[in-house]
Parts: sequence; C-alpha cells; structure tokens
Amino acid sequence: MAEPVVHVRDLRKTFDVPEREAGLRHAAKGLVRRKKREVKAVDGISFDVASGEIVGFLGPNGAGKTTTLKMLSGLLYVTTGDARVLGHVPSKREREYLRRMALIMGNRNQLQWDLPALDSFELNRSIYRVPRRQFMETRDELIELLDVEDLVRKPVRQLSLGERMKVEIIGSLLHRPQVVFLDEPTIGLDVTMQRRLREFVAAYRQRHDATIMLTSHYMADVEALCERVIVIHHGRILFDGDLAALSETVAAWKTIGVALENGSVGDLSAYGEVIHRDGDLVTLRVPKAETARVTARLLAEQDVLDLNVEDPPIEDVIELVFAREAPE
Amino acid sequence: MQTLRVALLHLRVGVMTDLQYRVNFALQVLQSLLALATGLVVFSLVYAHTTELNGWSQNELLVVLGVQIVMGGVIRAVVQPNMMRFTEEVRDGKLDHALTKPVDAQMLVSVRQVEVWQAVDLLTGAGVIVVALIRLDGGVGPLDVLGFVTALAVGALLLYCFWMLLATLAFWIVNMWHLPELFEGVFQTGRWPIGIYPPWLRFSVTFLVPIAFAVTVPAEALTSRLDWETLVLAIGFACVFFAFTRWFWRFGLSRYTGASA
Amino acid sequence: MSTVPASLPEAGRVRSWVDFYLTSMRTQISSQFQYRAAAYMYLLGMVAEPVIYLVVWTTIAEDSGGTVGGLTAGDLAAYYIVWTFVRNMNLVFTPFGWEWRIRDGELSGWLLRPLHPIHYDIAGFAGSKIPWLLFYLPIAVVLTLVFDPTFDVRAAEIAVFAVAIWGAYLIRSFNQGALGLVCFWTTRVSALFSLYIMVELLLSGRLVPMTLMPDWVQTLAWFLPFQWTFFFPIETLVGDYSNTELLRGLGMQVFWILVGIAIFSLVWRHAVRHYTAVNN
Repeated sequence: MAEPVVHVRDLRKTFDVPEREAGLRHAAKGLVRRKKREVKAVDGISFDVASGEIVGFLGPNGAGKTTTLKMLSGLLYVTTGDARVLGHVPSKREREYLRRMALIMGNRNQLQWDLPALDSFELNRSIYRVPRRQFMETRDELIELLDVEDLVRKPVRQLSLGERMKVEIIGSLLHRPQVVFLDEPTIGLDVTMQRRLREFVAAYRQRHDATIMLTSHYMADVEALCERVIVIHHGRILFDGDLAALSETVAAWKTIGVALENGSVGDLSAYGEVIHRDGDLVTLRVPKAETARVTARLLAEQDVLDLNVEDPPIEDVIELVFAREAPE
Repeated sequence: MQTLRVALLHLRVGVMTDLQYRVNFALQVLQSLLALATGLVVFSLVYAHTTELNGWSQNELLVVLGVQIVMGGVIRAVVQPNMMRFTEEVRDGKLDHALTKPVDAQMLVSVRQVEVWQAVDLLTGAGVIVVALIRLDGGVGPLDVLGFVTALAVGALLLYCFWMLLATLAFWIVNMWHLPELFEGVFQTGRWPIGIYPPWLRFSVTFLVPIAFAVTVPAEALTSRLDWETLVLAIGFACVFFAFTRWFWRFGLSRYTGASA
Repeated sequence: MSTVPASLPEAGRVRSWVDFYLTSMRTQISSQFQYRAAAYMYLLGMVAEPVIYLVVWTTIAEDSGGTVGGLTAGDLAAYYIVWTFVRNMNLVFTPFGWEWRIRDGELSGWLLRPLHPIHYDIAGFAGSKIPWLLFYLPIAVVLTLVFDPTFDVRAAEIAVFAVAIWGAYLIRSFNQGALGLVCFWTTRVSALFSLYIMVELLLSGRLVPMTLMPDWVQTLAWFLPFQWTFFFPIETLVGDYSNTELLRGLGMQVFWILVGIAIFSLVWRHAVRHYTAVNN
C-alpha cells in the first residue's frame, strides 16, 4: 500500500484575534491592554489522500477550508497536529516540496503585468528549475488545453479577468506539480468559464496523475470533479466519503415534484413538507420510506399532470448537515 | 458659491477621516522633526565653512527654510493628494464620477482630498520662522508682515497652478507615478538663495517651477529685502499663470475620453 | 494509481540561478523601455539634488578664495557628476516595495515558490540599470558641459570603480531589504526609513564629500556601511587613492555585503515565522 500523498492527523489551527469595541475610550484602552479572543479555525481534523485522488472540501465561509489548504501548502504553520504532504512537513517550506506542489487561489497576480505571459513563464521555468524540454512540452500542452494561444503573447494587463485567470493557472502548473491545491477556483467566473475550468482540472489530473484538493462553495464544482467529499464546518470534519454516500447517510429524504391541474388551491401539507410552490408546480419533501405511499395517494386524490421523484439537491443536503451541527 | 460649499464639505469629511488615525499624527510629527533636523545639520555644516551665502546670513536663511517647510506642508497636505488622486483616476478611467457632479470639475478635483497630518509641517515651519526672526536683529515691521502674507498667498496659488498644469498632463501621459518624488527634489532648491544658481536654473525655478515666488519672495518680505516691484510682478505672474492653467485644464478635459478596459 | 517518484528531473542549480537572473534582468529591461518616459522623468528629477549641493558648495568655495576643504569648483563638479552615476546604481528595492508586496498578497505567492524573492529584487533592479544608464548618458554629457569638472583618472581607478558600484548596489540592497522586512511587523515603516535615509545622507558622502565633514563624523562613518555606498565609489574615480587603498576599499565593501546578508537572513527567518503564524 503506497504512502498517502496527504496525511493529516488531528490538525489544529488557532488564531488569537484582538477584540475591539467601538468608541474612542475603548480605542484608547486598546492601546495599552489588548483583549484577545481565541478562534479555532481548524479544530482537530484528520484524513489521508492517496495519490491521484481528487478531493473536494466543502463548507460555508469560515469553516476552515482555506486555512487547511494554507497549512498544507506551508503558508500557515500548524498550531498542533501532524500534516505531511509528499512526505514533507509543509511549514518547513523545503525547496524540494515547493517544487512539487502548487496552490492556486483565485484573483492572484503572479505574472508580470506589463509583459506577455510567455515571458513570465520563462521566469517560472528558472525558478522551479524545470528542464527546458519538459518545460516546453508542459507549457504547450497547457496552452492548448486552455485554448489561450493568441493570448500568451499579449501583455497580461490587456487581458480580461477570465483570460488572465487562465494564463495565471498555466503559470502555476508549468512545473508539473504532483499535488495541486485549488482554493475556490471558479469564484467570480461565468458559467462557461467555470465549466471549462472543471474540464481542465479533470484533464490535468488524468494526464499527470496529480493529486488534487479543491475547496469550493459551488456544488457543481464538487459534483463534477470530486469522487470524494470532505465536509468541514466550524473547523471540524462532518463527513468524509463518496458524494453519493453523503446523500445516503444524512438525508433520508426524497423530493417529489408534481404538476397539478389545480394545484394552486388546496392544502398539500398532508402529503409532506411543501418546500416550493410555483403556481401549479409543487415540490414536496417526504421521508424516503414514505415515498411510495405518498406518490400513490397523490395520484389517487389529485389531478396530477406530471410527477417526479428525485434525490434532494446537494445544496439541501449540505444545509441539512450544517443545520444539524450549527450551534456549538 | 455652491462649488465652494461642496469643496469645504469634502475637506471637512477628509479631515474627520484622518483624525481617526492618531498614530499617524505621532509619526508625522516624528518625520517632520527628522526632516527639520536634517535641514539644520546641513545648514550648520554650510555655515561652518562660511559666514554668508549670497548675502544671506544663517538666521536669514533659517527664515527661508521655515517658509520652505510651510509651503511643503501646504503642498503635501492639500495640493498633492488631490493631484495624485486625479491622475490615478484618469489612468484607471474612474474620472467620470467627478465629471458628472454638478460642480466645476477643476474645483472638485482640487479640493476633495486632504492629508491632515502633513499639515504638521505648517507648525514646524512656522516655529522655525519665529525662532529665526527672534534671532535676527532688525525687527519685522507691519509692512513686512503684510508683504509676507500676500507673497505667501500668491506663492501658494502659483504652486497649485503648477501642480494643476502637471496633473492635467495626465490626460495624455498615463504614468505620473514619480511626480511627488520629482517635485520634492526640485523643491529643495527653495532652501537656498536663488542668487547662487546659474542663470538658467534661476530662471527655471522662478518661472517654470515657481519656487522662487513661493519661498524666496515671502522670505525676502520677512527679512526686509522685498521691493514692491517684485511683489507686483509676483501677483501679475500669478494671474497669468492661473488663467493659463484654467485654459489648459479645459483644453485637456475636452480631449478626454474615458479609458476603457 | 502511480507512486510518487523519488526525485524530479531537474535543471542544474547554478545554471537555473543564472538563468533566473538573466531572465529577470531581461524582463526588467523590457519593462523599462516600455515606460521610458517615466524613467526619463525620474532620472531628470533625480539630478536636482546633486546640482543643488554642487551649486551651494561651489558658491562657498568661490566666497572662500576658490577652494573649500581643499576642493576646487572643478573637483566639486567632478564629485557630484560621478555622484549622479553612483546614485543610479544605488537605486534598490525599497521598504515601501516590501510594504506593498505584503499588502497586495504578492508575498504569499513568493512563499509558495522555491526561490527567495530577494533574488528577484536584486536581479530586477540590476537589469533596470542598463536602460537607465543608457538614458542617463545625455544628461551626464550636459552636466559635464555646464559644470566643467576636473578629472584625473587612471585605468586602475576605472576598473575598481566598475566593481565598486556593484558593491555599493549590493550593500544598499541588503540594508534596505532588512529594513523592508520590518514591514512584516508594522505598517509604519516609513518613519524608520526616513531615519535611515537621514543618517545615510550625512554619513555616506551623499550630501558632501566626507572630507568636508567634521573629524568626529568621519571617524563615526568608518564604523558604518554608508560611506561604502556613495563616498568610496565616487572617490575611486574622483579622488587620489593608491592601489592598496583601492583594494582595501573593495575588501570593506565585501565585508559590509556579508554583514548585510547576515542581518537580512536572520530577520527573514523571523519575518516568515511571524507571517506564517497568521497569514492574511
């Protein structure tokens, strides 16, 4: 059994946040004595990621996703616990480690502003000590994958936001990192770009056997790319497993979407929880066990034009998970 | 006078914002004193090797130094922040916000911004002037003071016009980044009697960059060497300069198109 | 699934380092030519400072019968004209650059890379000097015509000068780099930097040739790195050093470069530690 690429045991990160109250007098007092509050950004998480896996970190803002990625990439050092990537301790920032990994955050400008992206790529080549031939192969491949051939010769400042993001990503992957951390990669992009990016990540992983960890709010990212999902909230892991299993474990519900002849009248709450109503279209949430019975009743007692039984959307699933664990 | 009221409103908001940052005040005082100390050390070095520089004694030159510090403070507090903000807005295509307001654009871009703490230099400079005047024999008469105040006002106006002219160039030249540094460098000429400069330089710092009018002339007033002809020339020059600045601004504005992404 | 390879194919260490320097210099040269109007403005404005000093001290010399501190107007002119050249060479990445770098998030990007950002700063500014010197030549010619300097140089002096200007560059790079690292702890570095510039102004030969300073100041300056960034390089060309003195001066520069590197490295380690505690 090969060593896991990412190994995390009981990882914790605590921040001391100064407390500030409004008002001049408190500001003055604040100069002399600072009150500090401990914030547990990451509160004891453990997981392993094997080589070639693609894992999604899911959680609301402030859940600890970005903090975890920063610890795994060496930008933050650990408070307590064990974190190892590719056998290295990330906070040591060893050169060997930095040459094998990449952290891609949205909206970062690493490329030279006034020069064509190609020139910046050359800089990265020498920084990462990539052999020339491999560099050119990787570079051309990435340019082709992201379809930016005409863009790489223009000064970066002349590119639009989406175009800039693409060339920045190329810049970050020129050294063919084996581990890629993506922090909210599709944020701020339009739907087409989001899809393109997901396709790209999948293609990269496949071609280079890379291990990928990404954080996102967008269900579509996680659904499209990740086989495995880790749900994190308040710095703790709530779930770690298959996407499908998530639905199984937590949400023992089904949704029934029904189009009625005269659905706007009448109280349908007897059948189940009405979560949505749009004229004649009603969506009900029912416990899984009840599905067949409720369906039969609806068909018998109402004028049904159309009926759908579905798994609840991932968003709802997550919401239910969070709602459960929220007040701590 | 709607314009003036709007202008003053902006100023007040700016001041209130800055006042929140007390630490900045302490730091500014420190910087001001450091700069003053440097100036005094340089002076003492110069006057270790000579007794008079172009007819100016050390105390008289201290008056010049004081005026230069005061003027520097005025520029860094109210002129420069506005001009730099304006050039940045032109570069980033954000000027339209200012242009669509129902007040005169030139007035608006000239008074919106203020760096209150730079005004510390006004106090430092004033302090230097007072100390220098005390040490001078031959007092300061009411006529001298009148001449001083007039010359100061005229000088400030001229410096504003100069900055406004340069800033208007932003309509054509994108990169105005270095302007404050450059001005600071040339402005240092104001610390010394302009008589020591070769004619071409003397001309430049009088009529091209109106430092002589802003610093030397007010100092001459206080040290009783100002003749009324120079003062009249200063006033006349200021009127012409202001008219030209205004014309150039309107010319630039009419050529302006919003920068696109 | 594959296993993680033990070692990566890699280009040689020294070669990559040289490659990086050359590439950085090339990109900066390119950039400077793009913004040559701004560069020119800057170079022109920079001339104001030494011209003022020159005129003031020449006036004093003339008032005192032709020389001040043993220097004639021609000597002074030579000093300050070479000064402008050395000043160009002395421009380095400032603490304000560090402040911006941290605030803008660029620093995190560097921490993710296997190369220290100081290499980028040193290489970049070194590259910029090439177009600057090109732009500067006509200004130098004009200054020479206007101020009539007296020059008396030997070949050895020119050779040492060519090395000393880079020594000055490195000393200042590391000193200001170390100052810049203070930005990791506070955003108020400008006061400290002002203090540094003030001390440098007086003790480096930037204001006047050190020989015009009182004796105790000259003694003090010997224990500090400043005079090796301005006075020494200028004097190699303008002054009258023997070959031994020239070599000894280079040796002193090397010493101060090493001191600068030591201080910088020490502060860097603490700075990164501080930054990675909270990383915003």
